[in-house]
Amino acid sequence: MSWEFFGISLSALLTLSLYSFLYKDNPFYKLAEHIFAGISAGYYVGLIWHSVIKQQLWSPMVKEGQYLLIIPGILGALMFTRFISKISWLSRLSLAFVVGNTAGITIIQQLHGMVLPQVRSTFLNLTTLGGIIMVVGVISTIIYFYFSKEHKGALGFVAQVGIWFIMISFGASFGYTVMARVSLLIGRAQFLLTNWLHIIK
Amino acid sequence: MIGVAVILPLIFPLGLPLGITQPSKNLYDKVESLKEGSVVLLTFDYYPSTLPETEPMSYAALRHLFRKNIKVITVTTIPLGALSVMENVVKNVAREYDKKYGVDYVNLGYKYGYQAVLLGMGRRIEDIFPMDAYNNKLESLPLMQRVKNYKDVDFIFVVSDNATVDYWISLVNAQFGTPMGAGVTAVMAPKCYSYLQTNQMVGLLGGMKGAAEYEKLSLNYGKAIRGMDPQSIVHFLIIFFVILGNLGYFITRKKEGLK
Repeated sequence: MSWEFFGISLSALLTLSLYSFLYKDNPFYKLAEHIFAGISAGYYVGLIWHSVIKQQLWSPMVKEGQYLLIIPGILGALMFTRFISKISWLSRLSLAFVVGNTAGITIIQQLHGMVLPQVRSTFLNLTTLGGIIMVVGVISTIIYFYFSKEHKGALGFVAQVGIWFIMISFGASFGYTVMARVSLLIGRAQFLLTNWLHIIK
Repeated sequence: MIGVAVILPLIFPLGLPLGITQPSKNLYDKVESLKEGSVVLLTFDYYPSTLPETEPMSYAALRHLFRKNIKVITVTTIPLGALSVMENVVKNVAREYDKKYGVDYVNLGYKYGYQAVLLGMGRRIEDIFPMDAYNNKLESLPLMQRVKNYKDVDFIFVVSDNATVDYWISLVNAQFGTPMGAGVTAVMAPKCYSYLQTNQMVGLLGGMKGAAEYEKLSLNYGKAIRGMDPQSIVHFLIIFFVILGNLGYFITRKKEGLK
């Protein structure tokens, strides 16, 4: 028995163990689940150690003399002070840096890359059917989420139109979600029938 | 019943027709329009759990790019499993097309920190990836000597199963202007259509159907096309049960009304 076949068989048995949950919770399912969680955690730690700590911190500092990297190194180490209650406040320094940095990047990202292009693309030519549908859809949907006035009369009618647009959007999302879940089942079936059982080529 | 509807058509393919949607065609046309020697950044931003949808996209895209003699740089921002999948796909396809590492393609590997990585690559790729996935210094690779940042990249082909596609659009496309297209999982596709409306993406592949369309367009018949028979049959089955469920509901309600 080759190592490749052993690996494929192990993978197939783990797949079947996970699908056994369709019957009911059982030890095979739990074993597969725990193996997955353990391997994921171990792999992640190894990856971060190699690609961040070694490659981006230790090697540049020791081999190339980039001593300024000691600052992010210390900030990273301070995160672990959360485990020592007396000095746990030190971790806030690192968190403050992370929050500030993320906010700075995200505000520009959301405004420049999301909000403005999306708003701009709703300024459409109202002489085309597509343009009318888009503008009516956007306005009525936004009005549905306007809660400072009771949805009655004209406002209620427009909000109702908004609900229809939201429902169509949910329908599209549901259809795509069904396709995604079925695709995963097809993928596993292809693996079992092709790589493991060699029923199909 | 769903299991049978999936397994039988895989064993006995029906060859049901497969239509091509405009977003998939646009993405294919964009890659087709790239000249020989252009540089494309191909991302593998997905976890192994979505391989049936995303891996066929990567295979089809890479085969299409290599067939057109386009230089490819591969990268991932996903920690779990993506690196192994990327190495596997790149090595297999490079072998098929006899491509030379460092000259025709480079595998940058994985780096932690989505936004910082994407922004940093816009300044200088070497700052973020001093070494490639195989611990070669980037400056030692001929392809990377002429690709310093996004300005030297002609197109970004994102294959993703998570929010990284939003980062590529809102950080890289918005701030550096590099044209891009994406292949995403079906769950993400409805949201990503809005990026087509804003012209932030030239094209989009949605789920296994999108992957199958790209396989068909680029004449790379693979797993996605084979998966479309069961996909269609299961969908018919679900539609049938939805109609049946609704009929049952209305009949029951009518009977209760008569009482």
